Amino acid sequence: MKHAINNQINQMKWRYLRQSAFFGLLRASALIITLALGGIIFYILYNGLSVISWEFISKPPTHSMTKGGIMPAILGTIYLTVGAISIGLPLGVASAIYLTEYAKQGKMIRFIKVGINCLAGVPSVVFGLFGLAFFVILFKFGSSILAGSLTLGFLILPTIIGASEEALKSVPQTFREASLALGVSKWQTIYRIVLPNALPGILTGSILGIGRAAGETAPIMFTAAAYFTAKLPGSIFDEVMALPYHIYVLATAGTNIEATRPIQYGTVLVLVAVVLGINLIAILIRGYMRRHKRW
Amino acid sequence: MDANVIISLNNVNFYYGQNRALTDITMNFRKNKVTALIGPSGCGKSTLLRLLNRMNELIDDTRVEGDIIYEGKNIYSPDIDPVEIRKKIGMVFQKPNPFPKTIYNNIAYGPKLTASNTGDINMLVEQTLKQAVLWDEVKDILNQSAMKLSGGQQQRLCIARALAMKPDILLMDEPTSALDPISTAKIEELIEELKKDYTIIIVTHNMQQAARISDETAFFYLGNLIEYNKTEKIFTKPDVKQTEDYITGRFG
Repeated sequence: MKHAINNQINQMKWRYLRQSAFFGLLRASALIITLALGGIIFYILYNGLSVISWEFISKPPTHSMTKGGIMPAILGTIYLTVGAISIGLPLGVASAIYLTEYAKQGKMIRFIKVGINCLAGVPSVVFGLFGLAFFVILFKFGSSILAGSLTLGFLILPTIIGASEEALKSVPQTFREASLALGVSKWQTIYRIVLPNALPGILTGSILGIGRAAGETAPIMFTAAAYFTAKLPGSIFDEVMALPYHIYVLATAGTNIEATRPIQYGTVLVLVAVVLGINLIAILIRGYMRRHKRW
Repeated sequence: MDANVIISLNNVNFYYGQNRALTDITMNFRKNKVTALIGPSGCGKSTLLRLLNRMNELIDDTRVEGDIIYEGKNIYSPDIDPVEIRKKIGMVFQKPNPFPKTIYNNIAYGPKLTASNTGDINMLVEQTLKQAVLWDEVKDILNQSAMKLSGGQQQRLCIARALAMKPDILLMDEPTSALDPISTAKIEELIEELKKDYTIIIVTHNMQQAARISDETAFFYLGNLIEYNKTEKIFTKPDVKQTEDYITGRFG
């Protein structure tokens, strides 16, 4: 009898031990991620903060990019990101609406969905080459904001389509039925009921897209980014400087790589800040919308 | 056709893919009456209800055979727009499903979008909420979210929303199965009131409810219409043995 009880206690102890071991592992994983993020941000701040000044963000580079600021690159990245979103978002949302609301589920749709997933897996440099061949050369847009935005727009398309599809599917079917049963047309049902309720989820996808569009280097290398231009773009057919490409240039092909080290870190810091800033705007809009929906 | 008949089915079959859900249904629904559709789960009664406003075609891979005649036309003929049918034949669902909008906008939504109604929307909202006996409870909170109402209130709102389209027929798919007894009683009273102006076809699992509120009752089993008679007759001395067995609780 006593033996049996002891046995049971031992088993419990063992189970408890195993449980805390696994919890510990999970906790450690979460901690490692936080540490990695913290480390990166701290390292960038530590190295880059010293060059940040009003002049740095408001003046173009001077002295073969070893002095001066990075204002044209900041503006260029904002232009390209906004351009990519204005192309990727409508196209992506429209595709997602077609795929989830209209298309009859079958072989064709499965094929398209596989295609979209493949698109998500294509390396970004391939997008860059595609943009070069297609928009820059074939359509004669040249290296320009337009060609870069289109390329980035296509790059973020799978992210936006995926998030939009999920968001549309999460709108309860009963809402659609209620609206259709009133004799409201399908398009109006989608426009008035489904889309407004899916919007916060769609915006989440766009936020991820924004992050990618602003940070990618390879797709804009051949399609939009200039090595150096002090003058600001006058139209969407001009090329621009962009933060990721500027970092790449300073770090690998600059005139004096060692001397520009602080500027490199400063530019990285600004890039991170710009991405976070654009994300923050989207998050605020999403939060506002979420507060205004209840079901 | 009898002038009292508002919608009639002739040899209707319905398929989900390869499965036949309804077999050779022929029946007439009478104007300004409450008709109850009863039968065990999966007998096809809800399927039949959703055939009448073409809601079944939202499901992929379904097929209808036979005629469903409303206003002298087969509602499934190719020149008929289902949107027009649904304006005339409203529906209330099993679970209250108000839109995540204000109470006011729940009612105004349909009339505003279908443009059939150019009259005073404020009046229409008040009138239909009164018809649904909800006005006194919500007249001061019309701009609040409909999601804050109780289940019973939400269901009456859904009825008001359907009435705002001024339909001829109101289809109800187990409208009280998600509600408490008091809310159920209110909806039943409301149905009694509404049948003066509308034709009501209601699916119910609750035999007492069918007996209480309907004028006519149709009993379905395994996709077949077993018996269709005056409610009184069905519940006192049905013609078919199966009906009696179901009603007395011997199976179901």
